[in-house]
Amino acid sequence: MEANAIKTAQAGTLESMDCLVVVSESDAGRAIEISGGAAVRFKASMEKEINDTLDALGAVEPIRISVQDNGALGVVLGARVEAAYRRYARLAP
Amino acid sequence: MEINAAKRKIPSLIDGYGETSGKLFEGAFARVPSGYRAGPKMRAAEPNGGSKVIGGIKEAVMASGLKSGMTISFHHHLRNGDFVVNEVIKTCAELGIGDLTIFPTALFDVHKTIIPYIRSGVVTKIMGSVNGAIGRLVSGGELGTPVVLRSHGGRPRAVVSGDVHIDAAFIAAPTADRGGNISGRTGKSACGSMGYAFTDAEYADVVVAVTDNLRSFPISPVSIPGIYVDLVAVTDSIGDPAGIVSGATRVTRDPLRLLIAKYASKLIEASPYFMDGISFQTGAGGIPLAVTAFMKEAMRRRNITGSFGLGGITGYFVDLMREGLVRKLMDVQSFDLEAVNSISSDSNHIEISADWYANPWNCGVAVNMLDVVILGATEVDTDFNANVNTEADGTLLHGIGGHQDTAAGAKLTIIAQPLLRGRIPCVVERVHTVTTPGEVIDALVTEFGVTINPRRKDLFDAAADFAISKQIPLVPMEELAARARAMSGEMEPIHMTDRVVAVVEWRDGTVIDVVRQVEK
Repeated sequence: MEANAIKTAQAGTLESMDCLVVVSESDAGRAIEISGGAAVRFKASMEKEINDTLDALGAVEPIRISVQDNGALGVVLGARVEAAYRRYARLAP
Repeated sequence: MEINAAKRKIPSLIDGYGETSGKLFEGAFARVPSGYRAGPKMRAAEPNGGSKVIGGIKEAVMASGLKSGMTISFHHHLRNGDFVVNEVIKTCAELGIGDLTIFPTALFDVHKTIIPYIRSGVVTKIMGSVNGAIGRLVSGGELGTPVVLRSHGGRPRAVVSGDVHIDAAFIAAPTADRGGNISGRTGKSACGSMGYAFTDAEYADVVVAVTDNLRSFPISPVSIPGIYVDLVAVTDSIGDPAGIVSGATRVTRDPLRLLIAKYASKLIEASPYFMDGISFQTGAGGIPLAVTAFMKEAMRRRNITGSFGLGGITGYFVDLMREGLVRKLMDVQSFDLEAVNSISSDSNHIEISADWYANPWNCGVAVNMLDVVILGATEVDTDFNANVNTEADGTLLHGIGGHQDTAAGAKLTIIAQPLLRGRIPCVVERVHTVTTPGEVIDALVTEFGVTINPRRKDLFDAAADFAISKQIPLVPMEELAARARAMSGEMEPIHMTDRVVAVVEWRDGTVIDVVRQVEK
């Protein structure tokens, strides 16, 4: 890996009722971006699911979480965020 | 603000639509006709048997006497392949004709080329189904007056009763002759049934047939006779065949949808209507077609034959007729090439007008002869009200089609739908838009089983044996709604302004609901 390459990890797919979660480095704090059709009606609960999952994993470093949602239920979103974050955390600094 | 019988708040005055007092939905069968049918201007043909061929669309628009502020109508059998709406509107713009009300049966994505003419005021009002790009434009509040949505039966009722007067009808004609006779059966743009165009031809002051296949007089068989037609315009092409007829419609292979179809067909089999002579409508969707496939198996097993299949006809129904499982097809719209070929060659495949198909105010509407209809919906609520017009984000994206008419006419109306579309639940406390009231919907079928409208106690009794043998899981509505909520979580509300962007009429012309503009 190059010294200044951006550290990213992802989990999930763009299949119906799934989502693609990408975790990458952030300059400051935790940033969440959500796109997809269900976001208009579920944005707050999706953000809560993402934050709760990351908090439970003890994620304190500044990261950007980008979710391309295709109708994932809450449990699916949580699982994808957890997998993406664990992959991210394993990467060398 | 008033509350109608579907418990919806309707403004007393809707800008661009008018007063709603005396026009509020009162119940599915509350309103009955009175007075006499309306009529078009009387006119006579040239005494010496001249030709009605006037030239192209431009010459026809000029000869028609069309002026700014008038109402012009179109039919949608050429679907997403239609060139006629776009060409006529463009021609009007070039001739300086504006402030038009357009009265199409439906607009599709192909018609997005008229968007600049909506913005520039050539088209100022739309009465008809708006799908795709124009639906989004309307939802965003870019049309000055609300769109008026009517069902396939509500539209001819509005014309026949005089609610809507058509100044000029432009009929895309896959075949025509110099006498103005029209057929949809032949030609490079063949579309089969001309069902939606009949009432327009009978009731417009001026009728223009636009054709790319002018044949010698007289053509046969004739769909719309020249006695209604004033002018014939000839163009190179009225549509793109690839957008007119769809490819072969297939039964779904998704196991979840197959399970839903199986439960629905079991409910039909358990009902008192599953007997020799059963009639049904299933449309072209994946689940309804699968229901037909399961029913076919049950019909063979119990040795019964259907009397007719109704509505939009696909090759799948043509096969059912050829195999002797239904005797006749009543076709208002031929969806695929197989249906087009069948209506052209088989006298058991009957072309019917939208009036005949679905108008509640005539003496022989076909939907009233219907035993079973399988429908879809974007949402159903705990009162069994169905929404087919607006999406989860509140935007207007679909027309009513025959939903209201078949639901009201059929003895058994089934909505078959997965409980969730993605994370969006299909069963909610309250639908965003009421298209069809719960009083005419008898059962909802999801992957969890069959939910019968408590109003239909007879259906519970009919389904009892199948329920005991576990062929039909019966799920109460409250349980289904709770299950949907538990899986998807609470939905956040849609924020809307007070501005009405669409009026949803019940098939009798009363206002069943309005669609408000979504806040940006």
